[in-house]
Amino acid sequence: MLEHAAPELFNGLILGAFYAVVAIGLSLIMNLTGTVNMAHGSFLTLGGYLAFTLVAHGTSFWFALIIAPLLTVAVGILVERTMMVPLYRRDPVYSLLLTFGLSLIAEEAYRLIWGSRGVPFSPPADLAGGVTLGFMQFPTFRLFIVGVLAVALGLLALFLSRTRFGLRLRAAVQDTEMIAALGTNTQILYMVNFALGIFLAGLAGVLAAVMFQLSPTTGNQLLMPAFVTVIVGGMGSLYGAIAGGVLIGLAISLTTLYIPAASEVAMYVLMAIVLLVRPRGLFGEEGIFG
Amino acid sequence: MKGNLAASAIVVVLLIVAPYLAPLIHLDVSILSEVLLMAIAAMSVNLLLGYTGMLAFGNAAFFGLGAYGAGLSIKYFDVHFIVATIIGVVAAVIGALIIGPFLLRRRGIYFALLMIAFGQVFYFIAYRLTDVTGGEDGMNFPRPWFGFSAWHLQLRDQPFYFVMLAIFIAVLAAMWYLIRSPFGRTLVAIKQNELRVRYLGLNSDRFIFVALLISAAMAGLAGALYSLLIMFAFPLMLDWHQSGDFVLTVILGGAGTLWGPLVGSIVYVVGKDIISTITPAWQIFLGGLFVACVLAFPKGLLGTTLDLLARRGIRVEEEPAVVGTLESSRAK
Amino acid sequence: MQGPSLRRDRFIQGAAAGAAAAAFGVPAFIPRRGEAADVIMIGVTEPYSGVYAAYGESETRGAQAAVDAWNKKGGVLGRQVKMAKEDEQSDPGIGVQKARKLVNQDKCVALMGTVSSAVSLSISGAANALGVPFIDSGGHTDDVTGKDCKWNTFRVCHSTWMETHATGATLAKKFGKKWYLITPDYAFGHSLSAGYRDVAQKLGATIVHEDLTPLGTTDFSPYLTKVLPAKPDVLLILPQGDDFINCVKQANQFGILKRIPAGGPQVELEAVWALPPEARVGFWGVEWYYKGASVLGNNAAGAKWVADYRKKYGTPPTARSFFGYTAMDRLLWGISEAKSTDPVKIARALEGTHFTSPLVAGTLFFRKEDHQMMWPMWTAEIRAKGTPEDKYDVFNIIDREPALAIEQTVAEKAKVCKMNYPS
Repeated sequence: MLEHAAPELFNGLILGAFYAVVAIGLSLIMNLTGTVNMAHGSFLTLGGYLAFTLVAHGTSFWFALIIAPLLTVAVGILVERTMMVPLYRRDPVYSLLLTFGLSLIAEEAYRLIWGSRGVPFSPPADLAGGVTLGFMQFPTFRLFIVGVLAVALGLLALFLSRTRFGLRLRAAVQDTEMIAALGTNTQILYMVNFALGIFLAGLAGVLAAVMFQLSPTTGNQLLMPAFVTVIVGGMGSLYGAIAGGVLIGLAISLTTLYIPAASEVAMYVLMAIVLLVRPRGLFGEEGIFG
Repeated sequence: MKGNLAASAIVVVLLIVAPYLAPLIHLDVSILSEVLLMAIAAMSVNLLLGYTGMLAFGNAAFFGLGAYGAGLSIKYFDVHFIVATIIGVVAAVIGALIIGPFLLRRRGIYFALLMIAFGQVFYFIAYRLTDVTGGEDGMNFPRPWFGFSAWHLQLRDQPFYFVMLAIFIAVLAAMWYLIRSPFGRTLVAIKQNELRVRYLGLNSDRFIFVALLISAAMAGLAGALYSLLIMFAFPLMLDWHQSGDFVLTVILGGAGTLWGPLVGSIVYVVGKDIISTITPAWQIFLGGLFVACVLAFPKGLLGTTLDLLARRGIRVEEEPAVVGTLESSRAK
Repeated sequence: MQGPSLRRDRFIQGAAAGAAAAAFGVPAFIPRRGEAADVIMIGVTEPYSGVYAAYGESETRGAQAAVDAWNKKGGVLGRQVKMAKEDEQSDPGIGVQKARKLVNQDKCVALMGTVSSAVSLSISGAANALGVPFIDSGGHTDDVTGKDCKWNTFRVCHSTWMETHATGATLAKKFGKKWYLITPDYAFGHSLSAGYRDVAQKLGATIVHEDLTPLGTTDFSPYLTKVLPAKPDVLLILPQGDDFINCVKQANQFGILKRIPAGGPQVELEAVWALPPEARVGFWGVEWYYKGASVLGNNAAGAKWVADYRKKYGTPPTARSFFGYTAMDRLLWGISEAKSTDPVKIARALEGTHFTSPLVAGTLFFRKEDHQMMWPMWTAEIRAKGTPEDKYDVFNIIDREPALAIEQTVAEKAKVCKMNYPS
């Protein structure tokens, strides 16, 4: 049994990394503007589909890996500037409803454009196949996923902590009015912040398209666990999102292993416990949503 | 006041003749029943969202509990219409009694997420208990007779609608009474500033809990009757997307208004039925409706109309002054 | 919030108001269906939106072909046939409402369709209450011809039981009798599992291990890592839809499919065409195929039907197309044979009557006791890239099981299915 636990725990970590990246994107957007982005999954799916389309037109997977998220960001900024800006100052429930509506439109649009059955998307030849880890074969692509996500998160951490812009972003989360009073263009901040979140979603989407099936609902399946991750890890804390993701990933894989019947609800139970005991989440900060 | 009563009377008359007008726009009377039931479910959300300021995103759990309560009692105990409905309502209220104490600990978006989480647990339970509930295949059952012992009849589609109409009017009247009562006014006060209510010495938790129970009962009633309408119960009735539909209906019509849920329900249910006949891409219209509503009609159709009327000096007495506002304070 | 946002608000409000006003006029554009006395309306409830849209579309195309064929021969009862289509959205409640609309408003004399099992059950019940015949073209749950059977409901596609027994027999024959099951932990998975256990018992096969995968599992690695150590002859993958694709993809990524064959109850062409090449492996149940003597026989009419369909739509017909065609064709035949639209007469005409189809070799019939269409089922190996001449030709049929060998006996069915005809 233990020999099954080890690869399973590793899998849990990988899944957790996934949730963490999506959750960080969600968290970034929520922290600064209070927007609960129910369309985050749709952007994820869009990243996957754009990558598919690029590759179908002859580009390499690596090209698509970078460009598809950027294209997704372009769409995201368009949406943000036209529809979300008016809602920034209102109750978060409005943004929740708006993005929920957008996710419905997006899902149907993807169906119309790319078909309802999904599309085939494979890893490039050098990433397909497996690595032998002792007693079992482990897909190379999963290791690749961990690598990409680690790099992305590392770059994000650098950006936020070392650059001046990143500093302003973090300051804006604490006190938007003050930083506006000090002369920073908050609209640019909002835009870049949103772009960062969407980039992560798009990137996760390309990776998800390979690991899972790419269909109009791919992103939405990852949305709920991502929300749970944000709650558990703590709204307002990016490190919390990582911790939360790992926790959720491990929780799901462990219950799958030992109490399979409970694994579906495991993350919801975890979320409920956290919300009741420590509503800010494990690493959450005061002030965001109280 | 008199004008208000007259307007309400006109609406009731329209609802009475609706089954005869519906075929003219190619609608079946059973869709009208669905409109009324969705309106009741939306009213349950409205009580929490529009009047108490709670983000009620999990009412589908109560709706589904009502449906399964009714369906299971018919399938295994062969009860009749009224008993099945009551059992459904009781099931929903029991669900609220169980999860209520947990929900009460938080407000705002946390409340919403907790509600979704518990709703999903119920959903998975319904999915899991395949032997009992039929799992994802759902549960078929016949429509039992309606009445009391000796006097009873089998309700076909049109009489069913009129029974639904009677129930709807009763629920609407109860809602109207509830809002004007001291209890209802306290709820609105909680929406505006919960902290102040507590400073005044009132236990806001208790008020919210009762509101939750009433809301659950209404949603359960709608669910039980809906399952009797379609003679079926299935797990997706408990899913959070269903909750989202209820919330959309309330926002569409106008949160915090009495007739808003009905307006929203008419637009949503009828609109969906007509549009889905015309095109399979109806979901785009649905999503578009959501988006347009949030961006341009946050007060909903009725709320915005009342607003426009108010600007022209026509004050329609929507008690209390809470028309269409969704903003709520956050005490915690 | 002044200035541009206010103007934008006003603009959206105005546009929405205009759209709302126009919407009141929309019903005028709804095609008037079904009121003409010189037309026979058949209601078709299929998913045209959502996950199953592709299947719903295929079934409808098949049904349309049947309608066209009958209309060419002069229609039914001297009247032309028309289809009224409604999107049931894979929602049982909406399915019931649409069924009512079709019968009450569009004056449909019969209903056919569905893909999702839940919807086929709910519409079966609704049709029963409405008193019209319903041909379930594509909903597979055993209960439709089992414990929820109805005198007015007939089913064309195979039942879940038939799927497991057909593939079980073939896999045992070809690969061995030690099976590893990955079963989705809900009603459908359970019924598949029960079916395989039954056929295993009958054939002397053993199920070395079964993993129940929770709802919403996207990651099958916890189960896949256990497969090879258990040393089965075959890996039976029971999840359907997107879960099936994830599971097969991941099984491939873990190197399992290079060592042992994978199989399962059923796979659909539409799904396989959407699979990446490395997931196009295994031996799966196939309910019908557009090529091959084993399925079509050497029927020239069948080959022509396939060719015409392919020309019209660009892709070959699938099993779903066959379901839709047969359901509509048999329904119209039943009306014609009964010389009336009376549902009881139609049901009596259909049940037990043997018929031949240009699209399947042999004779078929709807069994009298449960109204299940009895016809063979095939198992095929997937050819990743099709053939040089035809990239869509991804199934290589390797076996065929006759109907009576794979479905429950009449006696077994009689224990659960009680058909009560109206007196």
